[in-house]
Order: sequence, then structure tokens, then C-alpha cells
Amino acid sequence: MTHSPIHTTHTDTAPSESQVNLYGSTASILELRSVSCAYDPSRPAIQNISFSIREGEILCLLGPSGCGKTTILRAIAGFEPVRSGQIFLSERLVSSSSETVPTEERRVGMVFQEYALFPHLRVADNIAFGLHQLSRVERTSRVQEILRLTGLEGLERRYPHELSGGQQQRVALSRALVQNPVLLLLDEPFSNLDPDMASRMRQDLHALLRRMKTTTILVTHDHDEAFAMADRIAVLNRGEIEQLDSPELIYHLPATRFVADFVGQADFITGQIEQGVVHTELGAFPNTIDGVEGAHVVVMIRPDDIHLIPNKSAEPRIVARQFRGSENLYTVQLPSGQIVHSSESSTSVYHEGAAVELRVSATHTVLFLAEQPPRS
Amino acid sequence: MIAVHRLSVSTLQLAVLATAALILLPLGYVTTLALSADPAVWQRLWATRVPELLLNTVSLAGAVALLTLGLGVSTAWMVTRFEFPGRRLWEVALVLPLAMPTYVLAYVYNYLLGFGGPMEQLWQLVAGPQARISSPQSFWGVTLVMALDTFPFVYLLTRSALLSFNVSFEEVARTCGASQLRTMFSVTLPLLRPSIVAGVALVVLYVVSDFGAVSLLRYQTLTYAVFQQMTGRSDNQAASILSILLVILALLFLLTERWFRRKSRFYQTTGRYRAPQRIQRGWFHTGLLTACLASVVGLAFGIPTSLLVMWSLSQEAQAILDTRFFGFVWNSALLSSLAATAAVLVGLPLAYLASRKPTWLNLGCLQAAYAGYVLPGPVAALAVLFLFLKIMPFFYGTVLVLIVAYVLHFLPAGLQSLEPSIQQITPNLEEVARTLGLGVRETWRRVTLPLIRNGVIVAWVLIFLQTMKELPATLLLRPVGFDTLAIRVWLEASEEYYQLAAPSALLIVLVGLPALFLLLSRDWRAA
Repeated sequence: MTHSPIHTTHTDTAPSESQVNLYGSTASILELRSVSCAYDPSRPAIQNISFSIREGEILCLLGPSGCGKTTILRAIAGFEPVRSGQIFLSERLVSSSSETVPTEERRVGMVFQEYALFPHLRVADNIAFGLHQLSRVERTSRVQEILRLTGLEGLERRYPHELSGGQQQRVALSRALVQNPVLLLLDEPFSNLDPDMASRMRQDLHALLRRMKTTTILVTHDHDEAFAMADRIAVLNRGEIEQLDSPELIYHLPATRFVADFVGQADFITGQIEQGVVHTELGAFPNTIDGVEGAHVVVMIRPDDIHLIPNKSAEPRIVARQFRGSENLYTVQLPSGQIVHSSESSTSVYHEGAAVELRVSATHTVLFLAEQPPRS
Repeated sequence: MIAVHRLSVSTLQLAVLATAALILLPLGYVTTLALSADPAVWQRLWATRVPELLLNTVSLAGAVALLTLGLGVSTAWMVTRFEFPGRRLWEVALVLPLAMPTYVLAYVYNYLLGFGGPMEQLWQLVAGPQARISSPQSFWGVTLVMALDTFPFVYLLTRSALLSFNVSFEEVARTCGASQLRTMFSVTLPLLRPSIVAGVALVVLYVVSDFGAVSLLRYQTLTYAVFQQMTGRSDNQAASILSILLVILALLFLLTERWFRRKSRFYQTTGRYRAPQRIQRGWFHTGLLTACLASVVGLAFGIPTSLLVMWSLSQEAQAILDTRFFGFVWNSALLSSLAATAAVLVGLPLAYLASRKPTWLNLGCLQAAYAGYVLPGPVAALAVLFLFLKIMPFFYGTVLVLIVAYVLHFLPAGLQSLEPSIQQITPNLEEVARTLGLGVRETWRRVTLPLIRNGVIVAWVLIFLQTMKELPATLLLRPVGFDTLAIRVWLEASEEYYQLAAPSALLIVLVGLPALFLLLSRDWRAA
């Protein structure tokens, strides 16, 4: 909405546009111009969504459930009519308030969350479903090729219910990819897999999409998944894009408190600007937002930027330790009652109640004006 | 505690075994009688009646199946895929024909399409005074009546399948470049197949075992022939041979349906699903859809019911509304209540044990109870008749014989709502009651029964309704002079006293309506 990003190093969509230029003249595969979708009580509405995606790029729509990310995907596929704005696919107008090109003429491939494999068809027939205009020989060879690429050889005579979850997902993917879609749409493709399988499939899928140079839009609510897969991430909240950037910028320089909170653990500490410097309970930070003298601000600090040093005379106390295998996440209470988190190495173990001193690496802090309410 | 537990279970077990025996004994007896019959009787039947009867039965079942397939699927599609004024009304109205017994519809059409009837007069206005229309007492007449009466089975099952259909399947087909028409034929309809087939199977079983319509329209099927052998010729051997053929035929249909549905559990949607959206229709399409639905509902329910009302208000009909008539009402209500209560009492232990202690014995007993499914009314009557004549002849000609036949015949219908309601309660609930100090009986009274109450009520109402409409077994087994509403309709209609049959027929239809809605409300909620 009107809460614009106020960090000095970040101005609107400038980074993404400059990135587009880096890749030269490639035309955008998909462009959304201020797209809004009709309000329907059963579906989250989206408002004024604009972005474009260039050939071969993997874009991720990230947000909590009900933020409208699936609605955007469905609008691109042509399932959802557009109330205002336009959608261009390969520079052709496919959706506007007055016109909607039918899905089957858009050449988009889609993988649904629950895969939607046709239960009455074998694997090979599922994959060949969209190839009905080809000759039999050509069809078979295309199917064999994609089976090889996705590692499904030998399963072509099976029915969907005879496959494991990971295999079902690969069949759904093969069915979408075999028709050489202009754009591949993935709706939470990993949410039905167990975590181990999901991370393996993520790597395989990423390698495959890169190899085939498939332009892809991925919808997810899992920021780890978005970070692992995406070239750029659009973080959505309540039907609007809060930030569209590379994964690194999204994590380190979130444009809003919502983004900061959504893409990883973050603590928000209040402070005040005095003599050009932000004073907080954790010490002073540079005034990076040109805040006026006396303004109240909030400093965002991620656990990996806070380090603990045992010090018997220090006032902060460790309240809890959560062992996470590769790290220890400590919850620390400051004298004021404020809680902060710190990520320490797996081997540094401090006891609950221990007094610690906090060191904050100030280079990674992000400021927000205090009036901005937390939006989660 | 443990001792009490064992004791009560074994009583229950005995009850279950007794029920299974009660059901299997008559069936076994009919089979033995048929198999031990003189080969000459078999030969005579094969040479004379059987080919014609088989052909008649199978062709009628086939024609009705095709017609109901068209009617049921298209009407279900109209009310689930389109949005138009009046849609909700039609959604309910399409079920109404189920409240109309086949013999009522048959007798109304016998009048409408019969010699000198209104349709013929209408046709004569067009085609001249000598013109005739084909008689309803023919293959086509029976087919029409049966299809109009049974298409709601296909409609209901297809409708609920369409409502729970995961529209992702259709959407993914569209992203694969398939047009709307191709999507419908290569994705939607194949996925609906298990439900459609289940509906058609119900129709076929209904048609094969129907007695009312075929007897009034004088169309020879196996069921009708069994009845005729028992009444007209008192040839019980021939009757049992034809009965066995009929049971085998019904079993064949049932197995075919199972075969069609063998993969259906994989067709069910898992995880998230998106319900299809109804397409909003303008006034032109609304008019078209309304005309289609109105003619179907009108032919199957509207016109027949109005005729019944008209006839019931006539002077002839008013004259018979005396104490004798209310005696028939009382007889019907008494028989139906007794049968429903008996069937629920017999069915509960069966369903309970099969669900809680699924040993092969208990499951076998439950399956035996479902045997009634393939027993057409006359066959059930024949089986019970033999049993009583052999073992307890002193009960012959009493209401008890009738009740046993009803239980045998309608137990499967009751079990179909008892079984799921028991399976839905986790045994943990009963176990936790035991840990809280309740005995077996107390647990039943305070935990199990309140939880399955709705299932029990639905089973009771269903059997009550079926018994109310039941015709052939009642005709064959009733005590002398003990007439019910259904019997009155059939007797008057056989003599073509349309007005005199109307009050009883109307009453049967009206009693059926609330029961129908009770059943539907379950289905509606689930969908």
C-alpha cells in the first residue's frame, strides 16, 4: 500500500529493471500491467499487480496463504478473469477487462499443488495428453525424451496411484514441460512431499529448468523454497506486491516490516534518532533513512547478526536455547524486557539464565519508521 | 468386567448368527428346490418361457439404463454447471419421482397413453379420427415409465460426483491445449464413470426386480413370471427355477458394476480441491434449461401427481373414503412400522459386530444380509413362504410371515445407512467410556446409541417407506382380506378404476415425500 520502502539503498523496482537491462534485448515473456482481479468472497483479491519476466527466468511469488499469489497464477493461466489491467504473454494481449483468451490457446504449462494427474490414464498417456495434434511416432518419441529428462523411464505403463509422491510430481511436471510451454506455472509444487524429498526435488527441478531454459513462475509460502529456486522473488501481502527483488536483497534489505518478518526470523528494537545517530538499547546505529532529529524508529536485526559473549557482569539473560543441529538459537531478554534472538554455532552451548553481552554487526541492520505498524 | 464383556459379546454373536441363518435358510431352500427339480421341468421351461423372459428382461434393463443415463447425467450437468433463476428448485424437484412407485406411474400412463386416452384424443385432432397411438402396454411403454421413475438414481449420484469433482483436472487439461468439449469427453466424463455406473446399476437392479409396472402394463419379465407361476399355476418348482435365474442375472449385473468400479477409490480427490464454478446464464439459456427440466419433472412427477389429485377429488373417489379405507391406511402403517423396527433391531448387531470385530465369520454374516439386495420381491416371498411351510406351518397366513419377508428384502437398504454411521465412531469413544467406569450396556446406551441415532433413524425411515410401497411380497403373503394401500392401488388399477385407485396412490406418494427429503438432507450436506 502506501508504506513505501524507506531504506536508503533501496528505491522501488530500480534493481530489477537494471537487472533486465544486464541481459540485453530479450523481450519479456510475460508482462502484467496493473492487474486487479474481481472480488469474490471465496478467493483473495489482487490489486494493481505489475511485473514482467524475461526468458529463462525463475520468478517466485511468495506470501502467506490468502495473499492472492495463486489468484495471480490463475489469472495468468486464464482461469481467473481480470477486472482491470492487462496481461501480455509473448507480447500478445491475453487478458484484459474486456477479453480473456481461453487457456488452451495460451501455451502455458501448469503443475497443480495436488498434481491433478488423470487417474484413468497411464503415465505415458497423461504426459501425451497435450500432444494430440502430433503423429503417433512423434508423440512417443517426445514422451520418451521427457521421461528420460525427468528420470521416469520404465514407469510409463503405471497408473498415477501406483507412483510415489515424488514420481507423481515428476509426471505432472513432464506433462507440463512436454508441450514446450512459453511459460511454466508451478503452484506450491513441493507442499505435498516430505521435507527430505522436497529438498531433493527442488535441486533436481532447478537443474532441469535451467537446462531447458524454461521461463517459470513458482508460487510458494515457504521462503527457503523461494530462496533456493528463484532468480527474483515477489513478496505478496493482502493482494499487493510488497517487494520484488533478488533473494539476497529480500533477505538483507527488506522493504517493509512484513517482508522482514516473513522471510526469516527478525527482531525489531525501538530507538530514537539523536544527533544523526539511532540510539537503542543495543547501542547506536547509523541513521540510514534520513530520519529527522527525535524521530522514533525500529531497527530490524536478524539472529545471525547478534553474537553472544558470556560476561558475568552483563545484564541481558539467556531465557531459552533451541538446538537446531547446525546452529543454536538463543532467546535473550534485555533489561527492558525486550526479547532478541541470536544464532550461535552448534558447539557454543550456554546455559539458560547465563548473563551475556551482545555484539551487533551494525552493517546489516535495517531501519523502519516506528509509526509503521507491523503487518503480519 | 471381562466376564461380562465376553458374555454380552457371545449373546450378540448368537444373534448375528441367527440372523444370517434366517436370511440364508430360505435362499438355500429355494436353490435346493430349483436344483432338485425334475429335469423335465427345467427342459420344459428352457424350451418355452426362459428365452423370451430373459430377452424381455435384459432388453428392458438395457433400454431403461440407456434412457436414464441420458436423462440423469444431462439433468445433473444442468444443475451443477449452470447458474440460472430457479436452479435450486429444479435441483430438488428432480428427485421427486423417487417418491412415486412404479405401479402408480404405470397406471397413470396406462390412462394417458391408453386406448381412448387423452394422448390418443389429442393425436386424433391432428391426424384424423381413425389415428391410433401405440399402446403403453408394450416394451416402449414400460421402458418410458421405468426410466421416468428411476432416472433420479443416476441424477443423484452424478450430481454429487460433479459437485465434489476436482476442477483442477479440467484446468490442467485446458493448459494442455484441450478444448472445452474435448475436456468434457476425455477427462470429466471418464472420471465420473464410477458414479454414473453405480447409478445405472441401481436402476438396472430396480428394473429387473420390479413387479408393479410390468404387471400393470402386462409385460413379461422374469420377476412377473415368478409371480404368475406362484399364483396362477401354483407351480413352486418352476417358480424357484425362474427365481434362481433371476438371482443369477442380478448377481451378474452387480459383478459387472463392481468390475467397472474396481479402480474408483483411486479416482477420489485427495488434498486440496477446487469446486467448479457455475456458469451464469442469460434469459435465453434460462428459458431453454427451464423448458428441459420442466418437461422431465412434469412427465415424471408433475402431470401424474396432478391427475392423482384430480381423481382423488372426484365423486367416485370421495365415496370410498370410509372406515374401510382408513383400515387400509392403518394396515400399511402397522406393517411398515413393524418391518422397519424389526429390520433395524436385526441389522444393528450385524453392522456393529462386523465393524468392531471384523472376523471372517462376522463379515460373512454381514455379506449374507446383503444377499437380499439381489432378491426381487416375489423371490423373497417365495423363499420365506417355503421356509414357513416346511418348519413352522402354523404361522402361515399371519403377519409374521410378511414381516420376515420384508426384513429379508429390505435389510440391505437399512444396513447401507447403519454401517457407515457405526464405522464413523472411533472405538476409542467406547473405550474411554469403559475407563470412566461404564459397563457394556451403559456404554451402549450413553455413548454408542446417541452417536448412531441419526443413522438408525434414516435406516428406519427408509425401510418404512420401502415397505409402504412394497407390492409383490405383500400380494403373495398377506393374511386373507388384509389389504394395504399398495394392494388397493394395484387391484383398482388392474381393473382400470383410475379414480378409485387415486386416493391410496396419492397417499403413498405424499407419505414418501418427507422421507425423501430426510434422506436427501444427508446427501445435500455431504455434497
